[in-house]
Amino acid sequence: MTPVEAVVLAFVVGAALATALLRDVLASIIAFAAYSLGVAVVWLLLRAPDVGLTEAAVGAGVTTVLFLLTIAKTVRPASEDLFVDVDPTALGVSALLVAALGTTLSALPPVGSSSAPVATSRVTAYYLENAYHEAGVKNAVTAVLAAYRGFDTLGEAVVVFAGFVGLLVVLDRGVLA
Amino acid sequence: MSAVAAPDGDDPEESESQRQRERADRPYVESPIIMATVRIVAPFVFTLGAFVMFHGADSAGGGFQGGVIVGTVILMVAIAFGVEPTRDWLSASLLTTLVVVGVALFMGVGLTALAFGGAFLEYTAIPVHHASKYGIELVEVGIGIVVSGAVVGLFFGLASGHAGDDAEAES
Repeated sequence: MTPVEAVVLAFVVGAALATALLRDVLASIIAFAAYSLGVAVVWLLLRAPDVGLTEAAVGAGVTTVLFLLTIAKTVRPASEDLFVDVDPTALGVSALLVAALGTTLSALPPVGSSSAPVATSRVTAYYLENAYHEAGVKNAVTAVLAAYRGFDTLGEAVVVFAGFVGLLVVLDRGVLA
Repeated sequence: MSAVAAPDGDDPEESESQRQRERADRPYVESPIIMATVRIVAPFVFTLGAFVMFHGADSAGGGFQGGVIVGTVILMVAIAFGVEPTRDWLSASLLTTLVVVGVALFMGVGLTALAFGGAFLEYTAIPVHHASKYGIELVEVGIGIVVSGAVVGLFFGLASGHAGDDAEAES
C-alpha cells in the first residue's frame, strides 16, 4: 500500500466514523460528503474512473444537496454534546455484520493481481480484444454499458424514469409546479 | 405543527425554536458572492457535464455521470437565485417532458435498428457510417437527459414538498 492510499483510506474511515457519531445532523451530512469524496478517490486509485466520477457527482454532490434541502425543513434540537450516545446493542450488531463481511476478505485476490478471475476470464479477454472494432468506441466500459449490455442499460434508464414518476405520485403532483 | 401562543416570549427554548422556524421559512439568502460565483461557474460546469456525456464513448464518463453534472447546474442556480424563481423560470412541464424524451430517444435508437432488420439496439444494422459509435452516443445523450431531469425533479420535489402542504399553508 502506497502512502497516498493509506492516507485516503484513513480519511475515508475517519469520515465514516464522523458521519455515524456526530450528533448534529448538518455536521453529519458534511462528514458524509467528505466520505463520498474520499471513496471517489479510492475508486480512482483502483483504476475505476467511471465509478469514481459517479461517486463524486452523485454521492458527494447531489445527495448532499438533497440532504441539506431536507434538513432545512426540520428543526435542529439544541444540544451541547458533540457526539451521539452509542447504543451498545446497535454497536454489537454493526460489529457482528462487519465481522461477517470481513470473513470474505481473505477470498478476494490482491488489487491488480494478474491471476484475479476478472483478469483471466474469457469474457474480459473478448471485450478487450473486440470492443473497439465491434462497438467503435475506445472506452471499453461504455462499449459494455451501451452496446453489449445495451438492453440492461435501457432498463436502468427506465428505472430512473420510474423513480421520477414515483416522486410525482408520492408528492401528489401532476407536474413540479 | 401546533401553534400554541407562548405567554412569555423570552423563554430561551421557545425563542430558539422560533428562530429555527424562521430560518426554515426562508432558506434562501440573497448573497451577492454566491450569485456572482454561480454566474461565472455555471457555464463551465454545464460544459463539463456535456463533455462527460458526449465524450463518454472515448474517455471516462457517460450519460449517467454527465446527466448528474448537467442537473447540478440547475441546482446551483436554484441555490444562488432562490428555488421558487428558478422553478418559475423552467416551465412546469419541462422536466416531465425531458425525462420522457430521454427514454423515448433510447428506445427510438433501439427501434430504428429493429426497423432496418437488425435486432433491438443492434446499432450496426442502421445504414449510417460508424453507426455503432453514433448509436452509443445518442443512447448516452438519452440517458443524460433522463438523469438530469430526474435529479432536478428530485430537488424541486423535495423543495416544494407534498401537494397537501400547499393547501395547509393557504388555510
